[in-house]
Amino acid sequence: MKIGVFICHCGENIGRTVDCPRVAKACEWLPGVDVSLDYKYMCSDPGQNMIKDEIRKRKLDAIVVGSCSPHMHEKTFRKAAVDAGINPFLVEIANLREHCSWVHDDIDSSTDKAIDLVRMAVEKVKRNVPLTTIEVPVTKRTLVIGGGIAGIQAALDVANAGYEVVLVEKEPSIGGHMSQLSETFPTLDCSQCILTPRMVEVYQHPRIKLMTYSEVEKVEGFIGNFTVTIRKKARHIDEDKCTGCGLCITKCPTKKKAFNSFEEDLAYRPAVYVPFPQAVPNIPVIDETICMYYKNGKCGMCVKVCGREAIDFHQQDKIVTEEIGAIIVATGYKLYKIDKKPDDSPIKGYGEYGYGKYKDVVDGLQFERIASASGPTSGEFKRPSDGKEPKKVVFIQCVGSRDESKGFSYCSKICCMYTAKHAMLYKHKVHDGEAYVFYMDIRSGGKMYDEFVRRAIEEDGVKYIRGRVSRIYEKDGKYIVRGEDTIAGMPVEIDADMVVLATAMIAQQDASELAQTIGIPYDKYGFYNEAHPKLRPIESTTGGVFLAGACQSPKDIPESVAMASAAAAKALVLFGSDKLEREPVVAYVNESLCAGCFYCKKVCPYGAVEVKEVKDRNGVVYKEVAYVNTGLCQGCGTCTATCPSKSVELAGFNNEEIFAQIAAL
Amino acid sequence: MEELRKHAKELLENKTVAAILGYVEVDPKRTRPAVITKPEDASKLVFNEYCLNNLAVYLTKARIKNIAKQNGAVMKLGIVAKPCDIHSVIALIQESQLKREDIHIIGMNCHGVVKDFGMEFSGETLASKCVPCESHKPLYHDIVLGEEKQTPSVSDEVLAKIQAIEKMTYEERFEYFKNEFDKCIKCYACRAACPLCYCQRCITDKTIPRWIESSPHSRGNFSWNVVRAFHLSGRCIGCGECERACPMDIPLSLLNRKMAETAKEAYAYVSGRSLETPTLVGSYDVKDSDELFM
Amino acid sequence: MKEQNWEPKIIAFVCNWCTYTGADLAGTSRLKYPTNVKLIRVMCSGGIDPVFILKAFERGADGILVSGCHPNDCHYNAGNFHARRRWTFFHELLDYLGIDKNRLQFSWVSASEGKKFVDVVSKVVNDVKAMGPFKGYEELNNEFMTEFPDVSGVDESMILKEKEGEAV
Repeated sequence: MKIGVFICHCGENIGRTVDCPRVAKACEWLPGVDVSLDYKYMCSDPGQNMIKDEIRKRKLDAIVVGSCSPHMHEKTFRKAAVDAGINPFLVEIANLREHCSWVHDDIDSSTDKAIDLVRMAVEKVKRNVPLTTIEVPVTKRTLVIGGGIAGIQAALDVANAGYEVVLVEKEPSIGGHMSQLSETFPTLDCSQCILTPRMVEVYQHPRIKLMTYSEVEKVEGFIGNFTVTIRKKARHIDEDKCTGCGLCITKCPTKKKAFNSFEEDLAYRPAVYVPFPQAVPNIPVIDETICMYYKNGKCGMCVKVCGREAIDFHQQDKIVTEEIGAIIVATGYKLYKIDKKPDDSPIKGYGEYGYGKYKDVVDGLQFERIASASGPTSGEFKRPSDGKEPKKVVFIQCVGSRDESKGFSYCSKICCMYTAKHAMLYKHKVHDGEAYVFYMDIRSGGKMYDEFVRRAIEEDGVKYIRGRVSRIYEKDGKYIVRGEDTIAGMPVEIDADMVVLATAMIAQQDASELAQTIGIPYDKYGFYNEAHPKLRPIESTTGGVFLAGACQSPKDIPESVAMASAAAAKALVLFGSDKLEREPVVAYVNESLCAGCFYCKKVCPYGAVEVKEVKDRNGVVYKEVAYVNTGLCQGCGTCTATCPSKSVELAGFNNEEIFAQIAAL
Repeated sequence: MEELRKHAKELLENKTVAAILGYVEVDPKRTRPAVITKPEDASKLVFNEYCLNNLAVYLTKARIKNIAKQNGAVMKLGIVAKPCDIHSVIALIQESQLKREDIHIIGMNCHGVVKDFGMEFSGETLASKCVPCESHKPLYHDIVLGEEKQTPSVSDEVLAKIQAIEKMTYEERFEYFKNEFDKCIKCYACRAACPLCYCQRCITDKTIPRWIESSPHSRGNFSWNVVRAFHLSGRCIGCGECERACPMDIPLSLLNRKMAETAKEAYAYVSGRSLETPTLVGSYDVKDSDELFM
Repeated sequence: MKEQNWEPKIIAFVCNWCTYTGADLAGTSRLKYPTNVKLIRVMCSGGIDPVFILKAFERGADGILVSGCHPNDCHYNAGNFHARRRWTFFHELLDYLGIDKNRLQFSWVSASEGKKFVDVVSKVVNDVKAMGPFKGYEELNNEFMTEFPDVSGVDESMILKEKEGEAV
């Protein structure tokens, strides 16, 4: 075998601490090395041409390039090798920059290490096997999980580009948290007014298959070829027959047995309900847990009033499978409920703020409902306990955010803005009211954002107090808020009628389970991880799965929408070609040696290992062995390390190659 | 004993099984494994404190499997099994080497066996695997035979030895095991006797690349014994056949038992006890200890 | 003399996605660590076979680091969970057989933890330096090489490295 070694100086980046000519010279002596050269910039055109010329001239079989990380220029050098006529997998990179010159100072020892690294690469490349890339087809359909504003935007973008979309929402209606908001910052336009046209557009779109009250149960397959299993929960109402007249809702006698979660538990809802009047689809759901029919088999009022015979008490959950090419995850967030938690709870609560104990201590979303014209108070400011108009309202920011001891260390990002909005909305309606905001810092980066906060302070007279609140307690029908004004340097006490807590945005309760279902990583808070924090913020590390909105980290509406469109664009990029090329780093089984213990099958994260029957010449099965479906295999090699008899190997990283590297040390 | 013979005879006469793996007597204090295929031979079967072998090892052997293959169909195999042997059978089923429906388990109530043939059965001569044994009744079976008797209780010497080794310094331990492994002549009797060493080609016989040096030399011996113990950790059911088979008396159970104890402590797992629980190797829990990792 | 100049030989088996990239980041950030460590890249920490460790000791490694993605952050979702069980057993076994726990260390280093990579590597190097050469295995290796000179396991390239001094 003839091997060429090419050592790059990377200008001074490698050359400064590694004596590149010495490395090149030393590598000439390595067995199998035919030529060993160094050059200023291997990745430049002259550098690449030098590699190509040497390959052609000396009829090299394989090359080793001592340069930067393979994550940087492996592709470049593979391409050069292909141009000169050798297999791209007979190229090995010795990482002389990130793993050597940049991390060491001493020229002698780093040059020695560089020689070792090149020798390891030479020994590996000797054992490398030519491989061919694998082509897989692409199903040009998108699954969007979550029907909030991010999911809606992503679904519309993909569908408008001409591809089919399946939009799955676990609640009975799409709309998400945005539909709960009263007005939006920094323009104070009505949230419902800008959102509902989009919701209707989704509903009417010929290429969007909307599945509400449904959850993703299983995701199998890989980029371009997912099979997704969705559970369509029983609504107990026939979607095809229901016209959404709402008669069943008004006639349902079970009115006050369950809180209305859309109203953030500030109101009740009947057993048969739509979350809110503008719901899409406008088809009710029967809540089995409180409906009288399921309790004692009686009532059936809804059946009597429904002229379309749409009520079906015996409807069952339906399991639907969809063939999908790209998945956009837009599952959003939830607010941190800070009421006192049990001692063994992983997240703590704030006993001292009285949330859950005092009715008039509410969180941000509850305040949105109170402020909303469609809310339980029809937009009039009435406090939950007695329905009186609060004259003094205290807003507390950073409740649970930026607070490692009781909450989460991150900043929830939107609270500064929505608190300013809340205070402003309040002042606009209650002119003689007083609004106080306790804050740590005001973080109002964004177009027209800081101006918005200034407007709240300067035009609307909201009083901002820099400091934390230590305690809230009830006294003579008032809530005494004790805190500190750190600018004035003195304690403050406000006898408020109502307190609004800007609690942290946290990941959905079942975020980690869904992540495991889809197969994407998540951080310690349950937010989904992007592939690269700067350069790949939309992709998850799993191919074909993209992230949109607050499921990745706290975000406001414009950011969520921007991210959703970006995710849609990423899906469309995928659909731009009919076939995908992927690296042939996949496992393969030596069937004659496999004993069929199927530990590989048990450990495979992708279910890529299948059972294959081996037959003798008479067609009688004499053993069962493992078989790797190369379409599903992602090449992690967990099976190879698990196999006791080493009957399964990973192409590109086979055991012989790794042993050779160890031996070369 | 009579019920065992009667049951075996019926099984063979009714063609319920193709053959029965059992024990036959050599002399009153020694038995040997036997494959009984004819009903008239069923009367040769015995079961007593001298039935040392773990017959499960034969279930994966091609010659035995072929007996079960008759006229293109797979017949059942009967096996006379002590409760601990049944653990092996369970492990083999879990590892897809057997199908439960292909095996007719004649479970024997057991109160322990002797260390070696020719010994008088008593607490002192009780085999070390029987000392910590907690299942004297078969866990899975198609029939249970034999009388229930009390197992003599004696102190757990193997565990004591393990604890003594754990108290040594690293150098002492390394030296101790190196010397023990040095005795190894690479006859692979341990492998042949182990019911769970069913690989078609053992890792040590692989040459490209050479995983374990096969020469009977300190280094190769060390690697072989480490890898053997590792491949069985979380799987070994502790039948002790490897140690009994070893002609050089290497205390292999010191390794196997240690790893079994680790499995019990770290994951509350005991191998070969239940067909319902997933195998320890090949499954994971996100809540597994993370202590080891920086 | 040999003792004085002794520098430990340390091999790190790292996964492609997290630790290898984390080590790249250490480079990009120009953080410094000792030259003793050489990385062998595999796709996932789940694909690192314990026999690799024995092989590395046989080839004279004084210390070994195994590193992958943090739990839940595995590029392949579950490879590191399987690895975690495997290493718990293997580490316990080696410890029992008299191989100091510090000779084989484990870590989770993500792609963004360049600093952690440096800390981990430095710790391993310091620990191994404090322990000195791996005498036990050295003995095994020397014995093997004297008795089987033909299959000493020394690569030709090791011998050629001696020549390289003259060549340069």
